[in-house]
Amino acid sequence: MAISIQIDRVSREYGPVKALDDVSLDIKAGEFFTLLGSSGCGKSSLLKLIGGFDRQTSGRVAFDGKDVGDLPANKRPVNTVFQSLALFPHMRVAQNVGYGLRLKGLSGASLDTKINDALDLVELSGFGPRDVNLLSGGQRQRQLARALVMEPGILLLDEPLTGLDERLRQQMRDEFGRLHKRTGATFILVTHNQDEALSLSDRMAVMHKGRIEQVDSPARFFEAPANAFVARFVGIDTLLRPERIVSTGGQTEATVGGQTLQVRTQGTVDTAASIIAIRPDRLFVARQGLPHALTLTVVETTFRGLHRDLKLAFADGQTLVIAIEADTDIGQLSTGQQVPVGLKPDAAVLISSAGLPPAG
Amino acid sequence: MTGPRLPVSSVLMTPPLLTILALGLAPLTIVVVWSFWSWDPSTYWIKPDLSLAGYAGILEAGRWTVIVSTLVKAFGTALLCLLIAYPTAYAVHFLAGRRLSIILLALITIPFFTSYLIRSFSWRLVLGRTGVLNTWLQDLGITNAPVDWLLFSNFAVVVGLVASYLPFATFPLLLSMRRVDPTFLAAAQDLGAGFWKSLTSILLPLTMPGIFAGFLFVFVMVVGSSTEVQMLGGAGASIVSVMINDVMRVANYPLAFAISTIVLIVIFGLVLIGNRIFGLASLFEDQSP
Repeated sequence: MAISIQIDRVSREYGPVKALDDVSLDIKAGEFFTLLGSSGCGKSSLLKLIGGFDRQTSGRVAFDGKDVGDLPANKRPVNTVFQSLALFPHMRVAQNVGYGLRLKGLSGASLDTKINDALDLVELSGFGPRDVNLLSGGQRQRQLARALVMEPGILLLDEPLTGLDERLRQQMRDEFGRLHKRTGATFILVTHNQDEALSLSDRMAVMHKGRIEQVDSPARFFEAPANAFVARFVGIDTLLRPERIVSTGGQTEATVGGQTLQVRTQGTVDTAASIIAIRPDRLFVARQGLPHALTLTVVETTFRGLHRDLKLAFADGQTLVIAIEADTDIGQLSTGQQVPVGLKPDAAVLISSAGLPPAG
Repeated sequence: MTGPRLPVSSVLMTPPLLTILALGLAPLTIVVVWSFWSWDPSTYWIKPDLSLAGYAGILEAGRWTVIVSTLVKAFGTALLCLLIAYPTAYAVHFLAGRRLSIILLALITIPFFTSYLIRSFSWRLVLGRTGVLNTWLQDLGITNAPVDWLLFSNFAVVVGLVASYLPFATFPLLLSMRRVDPTFLAAAQDLGAGFWKSLTSILLPLTMPGIFAGFLFVFVMVVGSSTEVQMLGGAGASIVSVMINDVMRVANYPLAFAISTIVLIVIFGLVLIGNRIFGLASLFEDQSP
């Protein structure tokens, strides 16, 4: 039922513009896979190639190992939930949902049963005879029934939650997770919203300028971001340029602003093109006298509702931010004050500085 | 807003409204009213006596057959224009790139820069006994002698009418296709529809207002046309405009206006039916999600 997808060295060029630049990707059957990136990163171009709405300039797209390059969209075992939803305005809800089934040759009672089952599945029971133009935003979203009813091996979701209010967004997000489990199909979600990607995906790919920066499970993006761009993208905003990196034995130490901190490394380290990513949730304001603590200067504190951001500076002016609980008793912190900061294990990771703007 | 001041909108509305009333509605009212007056054939004078003589005159001298044949011609021409204009509009909107679509639109529009008279006359050169078409047919050995029915026939009239009024069908269709969200077609394809299925189940229904508008424009233009029939029609070929012109020569205004009134009623009826069935007004509405 579920279908796996192989993207092999695919490029899509529009004149001099490379929307996709030598992209290779394997998506497993039944996986919930997310293509994450800001607008113009190529995620929608890739989705169009999988859906069959566009052709790659070079490379190969295959389903279950079979090349689908010559298969038009209407012959592919793929269905799409479009961003604009594209509900046919001249048809009723039931006609919209049944459109693809009728093309498959279904009619009569079996058609009605399938339509009603699909409407039940998305909790739109009894909406069949309604005018699609009169549905509310949330009800319109549930029209993904039109794609689901086709029982596709692959379901493509093209930013389906964009433009919804936050509550509805969360509700539909949970719905997607539920439907993925129910149908067992391969789901591919395209989004620029990190929350959606993190909470739904089995694996996700972060894209940038037509290339894939990293493919991993959501948690790995925080444990081991591939480079500075990915780290920034997932919200690890503190990136420190080390003065010196010294590896002795299995341990690596980096020096920032005259102070030494332990960093975790992955693979071989190119000391010239490395940067330290600091996870804000693994820092804490320490008591005086904690060994290996950094001593930093308070720049400012910002009230953020459920927590408080504490911005601290190294001697060379580089800063980092610690999130502390809003009601933590940290005494009076005044600008310029020295504070000891402790690092939990894996707080600092040495990563490639690729994707970072030049120091300025 | 309180007080005696008029809202700005009604002040702005007044000039165009008065213009429409003076130039549009007033003459039409005169046409309808005078069609019920009476005409004295001995003095060629009309009198404001209520009379149905004008309408009775339609039934004489086969005048009603001219009206019927005009409507049939208009209907046929409008259908033919749609059959040609729909693929044209489709090509311009969906298939051609930016540059090509501009060139195509120019090609459709440029013939309009010359008068109907010249264009109709040029068809004589194409369709006549020694015209371009007959010469080709004989050169290619398809016929031995010139084909006579090509010119001065209903065939020639319809060719001339289609050529003259085709853009009136093309542009409303283009307008209505531009209003169709292309993702509707992608969605249909995504759900398994091939080209013909998505054409008949999605594009045609969604462009219905444009189809009807194009039909109506051509229909109305043909009913009001005279040049094509006079230049290309056979002996005794007539059309409503020509007939009205003949009647006006003897100043029989009530008869001329009675014919006009009947034609007006048919056209207004079509507009109303069209609006009811095809939502003609939606072509000009704002697109709202």
